[in-house]
Amino acid sequence: MTPDNGGFATAAYILIAIVYGGYVLSLTLRERRLRQRLARLDTPSRQPSHRPAGA
Amino acid sequence: MTSAQEPLASAVARPRRDLLLGLAIVAVAAVFVRALAFTPIEARQGPAQKILYVHATSAIVGLYLAFGLMAVASLLYLWLKDAKLDRVAESAAEVGLVYTTAVLVTGPLWGKTIWGAWWTWDARLTSTLFLWFIIVAYLLLRGAVEERDRRARYSAVLGILASLLVPFIHLSVYLFRTLHPMPIVLKPSAPSMPSEMRVTFFAGLLAFILLFAALLRARYRLATLRDLVHDHEQERA
Repeated sequence: MTPDNGGFATAAYILIAIVYGGYVLSLTLRERRLRQRLARLDTPSRQPSHRPAGA
Repeated sequence: MTSAQEPLASAVARPRRDLLLGLAIVAVAAVFVRALAFTPIEARQGPAQKILYVHATSAIVGLYLAFGLMAVASLLYLWLKDAKLDRVAESAAEVGLVYTTAVLVTGPLWGKTIWGAWWTWDARLTSTLFLWFIIVAYLLLRGAVEERDRRARYSAVLGILASLLVPFIHLSVYLFRTLHPMPIVLKPSAPSMPSEMRVTFFAGLLAFILLFAALLRARYRLATLRDLVHDHEQERA
């Protein structure tokens, strides 16, 4: 007789989706955070003025 | 505007939509549907046998492809000292760890229904768990060593040593008396599976290879971006 263990198979597929889905989410969040840091570095820092004083 | 003056954020191109990753996710989802709804149930093991389509395929891609690539890239790094190879090895190790995690969480579900135990300390299971811990150590080592060349050199050596476990894991079912089933696909003779199950299995294998390529590419992009940010932050400091 075929055993009734469908719940285990469903649980395995759900776990697989969580493991891979969680990793995709982690990659997306880490990349977003790095791009934000990079964008901050992109912002030009205030350059010292070369105009003579009082000009 | 010269390339050196281009905005930093454009230095590492980000695809507006990662088509490869999207395609891989659709392929894996399609395999899930085919496996659960359209593949016959094995008479003796019942529906739990369907765990094979995600467990064994993840194991093949994680152990052989990911850790194999990690070993080759590490070896080439020690020879050529190219930072790109170090990033490939690092990316393959992390993605391989995810695949091995998938193997280690799905295996016990099959074991509980077929063996009546979630876990057994046999050679195949124990050596796979041991490799998982070594790869965790590899990634911790990368986080602990500040200097880039030294980090790459140390981790390349550890990566090569870790990959030596893979053939042992494969042969463990032949060398020791284990509960783990013998290979049904990676063996000299033809796969021992009815054709409908074989189609699902190989479709699953292709889908997980595609997912591996997509994850590896995304992780490599992340590593390149991290190095770029680090270099520019150091320049500014």
